[in-house]
Amino acid sequence: MSSDLPPTSSPTVPPGASSGTPSAQPPNQPPNQPAGPALNPAERLLNLVIALVNTNAAMTKQQVRTAVAGYSDAPSDEAFERMFERDKDMLRALGIPVVTVGTGGHTDELGYRIDQDAYALPSIDLTPAELGVLSLAAQFWQDKTLQTDITRAMVKLRAAGAGDPSADALAGLAPSVRAVGDAYGPLMEAIEARRVVTFSYRAAYNGAVLTRHVEPWRIAARDGGWYLMCFDRDRQAPRVFRMSRIESRVRVIGPANAYDVPEFDTDAMLGGGPHGEMRQAVVAVRPERASALRARAKAVPDGERTAYDARLARTTRSGAGSGAGEPAGWDILQVPYRSLTGMASEAAGYGAALVVLEPESVREETVRRLTAAAALGTRNVRAEVSRG
Amino acid sequence: MAERADDRLLRLLGIVAYLDGAGPVSVADLAGRFGTTPAQIQKDVDALWVSGTPGYWPDDLIDFDAASIDRGVVHLTEARGMTRPLRLGTREAVALVAALRAMKATDAVQADPARSAVVESALRKLTDATGEAASAVDVRLAPGGDKQVVAAISSALTNRHRLRIRYVTSSDVVSEREVDPVRLHTQDEFAYLAAWCYRAQAPRTFRVDRILEATETDVPVQAHPGQEPEIDFGALFAGGSSPLATIRFAPRARWFAEEVPVESVRNLPDGDFEVTLRVTNPGWLRSTLIRLAPLVRSVSPEILADDVAGAATAALALYGDGDGAGDGAGHGAGGVRDAATSADQH
Repeated sequence: MSSDLPPTSSPTVPPGASSGTPSAQPPNQPPNQPAGPALNPAERLLNLVIALVNTNAAMTKQQVRTAVAGYSDAPSDEAFERMFERDKDMLRALGIPVVTVGTGGHTDELGYRIDQDAYALPSIDLTPAELGVLSLAAQFWQDKTLQTDITRAMVKLRAAGAGDPSADALAGLAPSVRAVGDAYGPLMEAIEARRVVTFSYRAAYNGAVLTRHVEPWRIAARDGGWYLMCFDRDRQAPRVFRMSRIESRVRVIGPANAYDVPEFDTDAMLGGGPHGEMRQAVVAVRPERASALRARAKAVPDGERTAYDARLARTTRSGAGSGAGEPAGWDILQVPYRSLTGMASEAAGYGAALVVLEPESVREETVRRLTAAAALGTRNVRAEVSRG
Repeated sequence: MAERADDRLLRLLGIVAYLDGAGPVSVADLAGRFGTTPAQIQKDVDALWVSGTPGYWPDDLIDFDAASIDRGVVHLTEARGMTRPLRLGTREAVALVAALRAMKATDAVQADPARSAVVESALRKLTDATGEAASAVDVRLAPGGDKQVVAAISSALTNRHRLRIRYVTSSDVVSEREVDPVRLHTQDEFAYLAAWCYRAQAPRTFRVDRILEATETDVPVQAHPGQEPEIDFGALFAGGSSPLATIRFAPRARWFAEEVPVESVRNLPDGDFEVTLRVTNPGWLRSTLIRLAPLVRSVSPEILADDVAGAATAALALYGDGDGAGDGAGHGAGGVRDAATSADQH
């Protein structure tokens, strides 16, 4: 198997002796000379990849150390070990797995090689427009680490050929998602390797900070927030954590393959998305007001208008004398909604420009908000309220 | 300035694999393809030239045609077997696939069959090459708002036509404007249209879900030199010299501190927290505090607290006959009007 190993006296390129001129074909040099500056890490890695791809069977560590350009720079056994392990990790991270095989010799020494079929990109024939779409993904992420991932993917895809990207297909579109934050790296590592993570988390219901141990399943962005979906080992139940409330670094702990990720629906687990049936509220709105709400509302049918006018007159009676307006000064609209609290919150936000007529549940929720808001004032205002 | 070793290695391997299929390519084209400078490509070629299999005799090395290099053309003559482009790593596939899936679902892409077709096919080829999997990240971007509005914006962007829009600000003020659309930023929470606004005679950002109507005109967009509208999300909320307000919230309102740009957040021992922010848009702040009122412990300065309470009291007066707490409410504080709006933004 050592057929591709040079005798130790074979000529070696002086490490780092690259030169820009065509005549700089490597001169014959005495072997293993630490001539010139140390080979830079990218070039050492390149030589390692070429060696491990071209080796007939495998190379032992010792063979790597003596034969592959750059490794003889290691000043000690330990330094070499560290260098080699780090390089293997880096290659794995780039999608170039170094496989370990027995050398089949009398020793139990391990051999290393790279299987090109394992790392090769299947043929992928991208049109310029499709490449343009992929390029847009580079701006999609705000996090440096994700931008790096996209840049690497693009280098690989550009190496596979194809023409130049064309941005025409999605001209003027700029989709993006807010930054995930530092937790992304460890969480992806944990999800990929099925390892447990730990972090401290501020609970929303009481503000307390507790240490959590979870099995991460997926991270998701919805409505301006990032969420971690996982199995909570402390609670022994599936849980969703809002990532902005993670107060510590996320640390990956424990062994790989510690759990399975079940199949599940993101929105079902978040309890968000289109849940609850669509219902109709009826509201009275001042002319020219609440335009954002009007955009999804429609006028009540003519036949029902009278009844709602009467309802409006009843509810505003106490305020009528204060210039709150007669029914003629209002538009009566039907507004679709799914979330009771969402509808009430929106209604309350319009203040006196809008009155909820039905259903009673939305009225009550709206009044609850208004009452709490009215109580925020200083004594003068409260006195005015109680006088009324 | 120093490039990471792994990034450079990727490019070195990428150059060899690409040249093996492409034949001679100019240094400039290589630089463009791999997103670097011609000088760096020269250095990369120099490094490749002395790399190869152990032994490192001339026949062991990656080789180029020397005469071509002199003409600024890189012509690979020996690849030492490094001809296969690298497959995508898991993280890379996850980042690409999640972005494309999110894009595909946006209204702006859905509104145009040609656009959705190209995103769809890019996604399909990508997942064919990387394998399924990539479900570790799931992003859904904001719905763009009214479908017809999004379709009109989308079409105007493609055709480079001026748009006529009806827009309502967060302070509930409606206006009609003509704008030259520049870019549609779809984000996870909201979609924004960056445009040149003729009414303001300046670049403006419009939240798409607040565009009530949009009509594409047949007037071509004009150049507005030096006034390229870019969304500055800091500026959307930036306060400058606006007055400060301090609000104490119950823990459940924590999203407020997370989603609204604030000057500072202070966590209190009992789990409450206190935010300080600039009041750039009093109408929006009043409305938001009413909506959140059950979770608001206190508001200062007093004038802001009274403004919120006054608006709520006036509204309560309209709930006269229910079980609601509004029965006792009398004349609200009078000043319930949109005192100010922070113009067209947000």
